[in-house]
Amino acid sequence: MMSIFQIWLGILQGLHVTALVTLYGLLFAVPFALLFGIAQHLTTGLARFAVTAVIEFWRSSSVIILLFVFYYALPVFGIELSAMTVGAMVIGLNIGGYASQSVRAGLQALDKGQSEAGSALGLTRAQVLFMIELPQALTAMAPTFINQLIQLVKGTAIVSLVTLTDMTFRAKELAQIEYDPVAIYTSLLLAYFVV
Amino acid sequence: MQEHSLAPAIDIAALNKWYGTFHVLKNVDLVVGTGSRIVICGPSGSGKSSLIRCVNGLEKYESGTIRLADTPLEMDAAKSSAARRQTGMVFQSFNLFPHLTVLANCTLSLRRVQKKSRGAASEIAMHFLEKVKIPEQANKYPAELSGGQQQRVAIARALCLNPRIMLFDEPTSALDPEMVKEVLDVMTSLARDGMTMVCVTHEMHFAREVADRIVFMDQGSIVEQSDPASFFAAPTHARTRAFLSNLLH
Amino acid sequence: MGFEIGFAIATIPTILSVVGTTLIITALSCAGAAGLGFAFEMIRRSGWTADYVMRFVIDFIRATPVLGWLYFMYFVLPFYGVRLPTTAVGILGLSVYYSGYLAEVFRAGIDAVAKGQQEAARALGLGRVDAVVFVIAPQMLRNIAAPMGNYFVSILKATPYLAAIAVPEMLGSAFDIASDTYRYAEPLTVAGVMFLLLALAVTGGVKQLERKLLKADRR
Ligand SMILES: Nc1ncnc2c1ncn2[C@@H]1O[C@H](COP(=O)(O)OP(=O)(O)O)[C@@H](O)[C@H]1O
Ligand SMILES: [Mg+2]
Repeated sequence: MMSIFQIWLGILQGLHVTALVTLYGLLFAVPFALLFGIAQHLTTGLARFAVTAVIEFWRSSSVIILLFVFYYALPVFGIELSAMTVGAMVIGLNIGGYASQSVRAGLQALDKGQSEAGSALGLTRAQVLFMIELPQALTAMAPTFINQLIQLVKGTAIVSLVTLTDMTFRAKELAQIEYDPVAIYTSLLLAYFVV
Repeated sequence: MQEHSLAPAIDIAALNKWYGTFHVLKNVDLVVGTGSRIVICGPSGSGKSSLIRCVNGLEKYESGTIRLADTPLEMDAAKSSAARRQTGMVFQSFNLFPHLTVLANCTLSLRRVQKKSRGAASEIAMHFLEKVKIPEQANKYPAELSGGQQQRVAIARALCLNPRIMLFDEPTSALDPEMVKEVLDVMTSLARDGMTMVCVTHEMHFAREVADRIVFMDQGSIVEQSDPASFFAAPTHARTRAFLSNLLH
Repeated sequence: MGFEIGFAIATIPTILSVVGTTLIITALSCAGAAGLGFAFEMIRRSGWTADYVMRFVIDFIRATPVLGWLYFMYFVLPFYGVRLPTTAVGILGLSVYYSGYLAEVFRAGIDAVAKGQQEAARALGLGRVDAVVFVIAPQMLRNIAAPMGNYFVSILKATPYLAAIAVPEMLGSAFDIASDTYRYAEPLTVAGVMFLLLALAVTGGVKQLERKLLKADRR
């Protein structure tokens, strides 16, 4: 029988994959959230509809299904991505879709007087956006971002399903070797809680 | 008058209450005879609400005693529901239940606490809605009524439980001036019927007409109390005089 | 081998036939999560220690991944002699996981009911339970309709996780086809598209319901 300590060590070996997917996920999530959040704020009519459709696609899909669709279907179209990339992309863009809504809401919540005052000072629309609106909106959204980061860390657990050896995968492996599921899965839940 | 006990309706002795380290009620003594009408006034933050909320059992207190017609009210009032059932409470902000009709606001407690049938509860509720002069609004929701009407419903709702004492915490302060009178009229008619009443209010006209004693509080203590005539004519305390002259200007 | 549209279309009926299973699992998990979440919140409010303990429990549940809970239930329950059908294990796992979120929804919903309402209920002599059932809960419902609807949609979107513990829902049936035919792209894409449509439909339905509920309540 493995000791609790060994179980923990075993699970934590998956930690670097969890961390790596989280990091890659951020590389997808942050630009997507900013780009599409701002785009949705600025565009109107058909362009806005298109932007909204993309965001809604990522928000409305189930990450786990998308993970498999991209993992298995993209190669058929000649696009070969590593399991890590697919995992990070799917979870990152999903979270990014949600975060884009916070960005947009943050921008829209700003007093209209802010951008008007900026324009009155002779700033261009872009300057108003980057120097006046975004800094305020992003500060206001900080707590939401923390929440979304937590969702991202937890979301990375899905990569275990496409054979990446993250913490969840390690736990499953351990459980197969050592028949002590109670300790192992309890430790797994605790490990995420600690992280 | 249904009350024959010799004990006063409310007997508060050496009452002390703290909010954390803040000493909000300092050795308060107050006796309210059965059938008498007390008006409590004083600057904001002087502890008026805290005092009557203790009497209703909405707040705990740390030392002293509160007796309601000889029944002691425990310090942690959740435990002495029998005693607190003797009091009805009317709040500054009405606190009607927005999701229930006027009638349902009045019958809720009759049915859930007193286990009365729907018919019996409605009958009682309608009786008191007539008393506050809005029986025709029984099936409306609170938001469809004016502030004055809502406060009258709140009074009817409290009366339904047949309390021996009615407590009012600034019942007219949240009202537009033109609605103050309709609420005060209801309170005056209650007083005429012999209800024991403790009213926190700054309506000095009402105090003069209806109260048989005015209590002035400041910084958690009762500074002075006397009948309306002497209270307005010759306040003994400097703080009372300052307060009154502020009110008049 | 390319993407064969014909084969993809052929997989539609099979995958479509388990939409019902997915919806039933969703409905039961929603009910379980809401019930458990409400119970958690009520226990949390019952006292000082309960508050401390339940806050930890709720935070813990919220900090752990749903997959962790599913594996936990799937592998650990039998160890203690509790043998449930996998579908039940899946529903249990989703219920527990989302109960943590719904408890938070209930907390916020109750806190948003004006403090005076609780006081008025007490002043009228209503007991704890009566106050919750007749005064607080009906008003809370209006506050929580929107966030609760969002979590119900999330639960739907989490049902494919149950494929990991071999529950026959949409993703699982796509995998069944895949392992029979050695073609993954088509059934999975079909499952993905159908699931997206289902999710959009349910989201729309929930929004509609929410609007109705709020309108009926707007006074
Ligand atoms: N729940 C509470 N916690 C802490 N302090 C309170 C609380 N309620 C009232 N206080 C304080 O106690 C004092 C008296 O309040 P209150 O009885 O409402 O006065 P009044 O009704 O005379 O205006 C005020 O200074 C107020 O800030
Ligand atoms: Mg007050």
